Amino acid sequence: MVPLRYNIRSLFVRKVTTFATALGIAMVVFVLAGALMLNEGVNRAVQASARPDNVIVLRKGSDNELSSGFPQSNLAILTSPSQVAKGAGSVIGEIVVVVTAQRNGGDEGAISNITIRGMPEAGKTFHDVKLVSGAWPKPGTDEAIIGRAIDGRFLDPSGSGKPIETGNSIDLKRNRPLRIVGVFEASGSTYEAEVWGDVDVIRKHLGREGILSSARVRLSSPADYDAYKDILERDPQLSVKVSREADYLSSQSEGVAGLLSGLGIVIAILFSLAAMIGAAITMNAAVANRSREIGTLRALGFGKLAILTSFLFEAILLSVLGAVIGCVLVMVLTQFRFAVMNFQTFSEIVITFAASPAVFIVALIASIGMGLIGGLAPAIRAARVSPIEAMRS
Amino acid sequence: MNLATYARRNMFRRRGRTIWTMIAIALTVLIFCLIRTVLVSWEGSAEDAAQDRLASRHKVSFTMNLPLKYITDVRAVDGVVGATYANWFGAKDPLKRVPFMAGLAVDKDSFFEVSKEFSVDPAQLADWKATKNGVILGDILAEKLETGVGKTLKIESDIYPGDWEFKVAGIYTPNRKTADRMTMVMHWDMLNDDPRNAWGKDRLGWMLVNIKDSTRSAEVSKAIDRKFDEMDDQTLTMSERQFALGFVGALAAVLDALGYVSVGILLIMVLILANTVAMSVRERTNEYGVLRAIGFTPRHVATFILGESILVALAGGLLGVLLTFLLINNLAGPALVKQGGFFTFFHTPGWLMGLALLIALIVGVFAGLFPALRASRLRVTDALRRVD
Repeated sequence: MVPLRYNIRSLFVRKVTTFATALGIAMVVFVLAGALMLNEGVNRAVQASARPDNVIVLRKGSDNELSSGFPQSNLAILTSPSQVAKGAGSVIGEIVVVVTAQRNGGDEGAISNITIRGMPEAGKTFHDVKLVSGAWPKPGTDEAIIGRAIDGRFLDPSGSGKPIETGNSIDLKRNRPLRIVGVFEASGSTYEAEVWGDVDVIRKHLGREGILSSARVRLSSPADYDAYKDILERDPQLSVKVSREADYLSSQSEGVAGLLSGLGIVIAILFSLAAMIGAAITMNAAVANRSREIGTLRALGFGKLAILTSFLFEAILLSVLGAVIGCVLVMVLTQFRFAVMNFQTFSEIVITFAASPAVFIVALIASIGMGLIGGLAPAIRAARVSPIEAMRS
Repeated sequence: MNLATYARRNMFRRRGRTIWTMIAIALTVLIFCLIRTVLVSWEGSAEDAAQDRLASRHKVSFTMNLPLKYITDVRAVDGVVGATYANWFGAKDPLKRVPFMAGLAVDKDSFFEVSKEFSVDPAQLADWKATKNGVILGDILAEKLETGVGKTLKIESDIYPGDWEFKVAGIYTPNRKTADRMTMVMHWDMLNDDPRNAWGKDRLGWMLVNIKDSTRSAEVSKAIDRKFDEMDDQTLTMSERQFALGFVGALAAVLDALGYVSVGILLIMVLILANTVAMSVRERTNEYGVLRAIGFTPRHVATFILGESILVALAGGLLGVLLTFLLINNLAGPALVKQGGFFTFFHTPGWLMGLALLIALIVGVFAGLFPALRASRLRVTDALRRVD
């Protein structure tokens, strides 16, 4: 084996070339790790608000709460099976609508949608949320509470010009406001981009009395899911679809998450083609310039295989250097959060980049792969150098 | 041997390296054009949206509907030349041959008059008007659903439960490059008279309004909204273009990120070319000393290096533009549009290819400039003495 120190020193001799090549690989790692972190961020946001023993009930044929709807009277049927957790507040019926709101500080066309969720009093304990400021709305009144992700970021749709924040209101229809009395947090989940109020008041405001969009049910144990699903979905009168809360929530953001991370990964693969050519050029030049050295090494008794592994190792070292630079740079992204429209639910989704060991392991493996592919041909060339000719040149 | 010959021969002295550098540059140009084409197609769909057509919907939420009589009021507003209305049907293919399709329930008499981007054969249109369960399909949608005029079509809805059976009465083709080709157009009456729509009876989803003078779109929009200001259901009226821009704006963060990424690939281009040039210059430092010693000026040396860098960059750029033309405009683009997904057009415009070439030229200058300056400043004795 050629000593590893030989490779490290060789890389340092050509500082500019080494750095330029490593930087190219760093760009690939940056884009790849960024895409993976984004996917991780969305997954974490989804998992943050899901419990394994919670299920969501929608009307059969509906893919989301917006298009779903069934009569309030069905709630009793959802409550009766034995799998439902004992005690009050295990079943809550909710109404979900989206309202159009202009971004605070944006121009007139900069409109987006925010989700309004009406729930019974038990909703605040059913969902795992905490009060950040203000107070919880009093049940049966037009009071409402907003998630911290949208606090102050939108204007009241009535055109009053006031931001949606504590002390102001949202007009659902003319003179039918929801008064904001507080802000809540939901461990970074998508609920934080919603407005929550009383189910009856919101339904009355919208003229949808007696209708529910969806129901959430707490089961005694996650293992009861299949039995419960079976009972409800077999009932032809009921005509509902039962899903685990986590599955439902991830299906609601899989479009956006898939599009964004898919786009990132495709771009990273394209980038890596260019970066691999860059690595190959650099390693090829290294081999060409060092043929005399290689000849000397061969004359000293190092075999072809030793030369091959030595140059492959140098290529991997180069790409790992790039990976380290890329991973350090990508950590900057964890400071950013941005909001895009979730085109499945039409509501805002706040996206963050979340680092995890898996992200960096994948990035490292990808960079080693790039080094191996880019360095293979030059390494084979190096192994083929004839010691006699090389030392004569 | 003249100077040009010298430069050309020098360029291909390390043939493998030069060719690989060109390929890498071509690749970066292709990737740059690809990312930029995504942006152009995305933003272009908004720019191309009709400016002389207004859309009017419920002010509070696009999921809420408006009383049917509003259409009569809107038609009477000054400056309006025609108006129609539609409801979202939430159509889904039960056999999942298409992941997404648009289903509109429209006023049969006015919809195709106002929506001029859809062109329908007059005979098919007349036939559709006379058939209550008739639908007109976009050309790509019809192809994907493996159906044609005269056939029956079973569609589900995620709003109105159960099966819906239609008769395909016609196929429309787009008149504009941004017109959606995945839409199913059904009769509004069919939906309105169905018991499954009892809660939404005699309510319309949104209105489309043609105006006489596109420069007055803001004014007419305000006049419409003012008309319903005192009602229970208020309206939000804007030009279709403004709505489309708002939609693009909601994804602005993604577009910005793509923009940054496209600059990232240019950085890789610079790194690869600068690396190649720097390596060549280092290998030939001795020769530059010889050239200087036999009477070539520093300017000659700088020109050799810069010229070589620019030549490689331009050759790579040209190759990249050629690849873009072949792969994006003639292969992937048409396939993507045929797929009937997100993009109604996907085409790298000529100016973008020109821009990519210009960038390649600038990158060539940039990558060659510093090695050229450094080499031209070398003292002859130092250059001759240097061994690598």
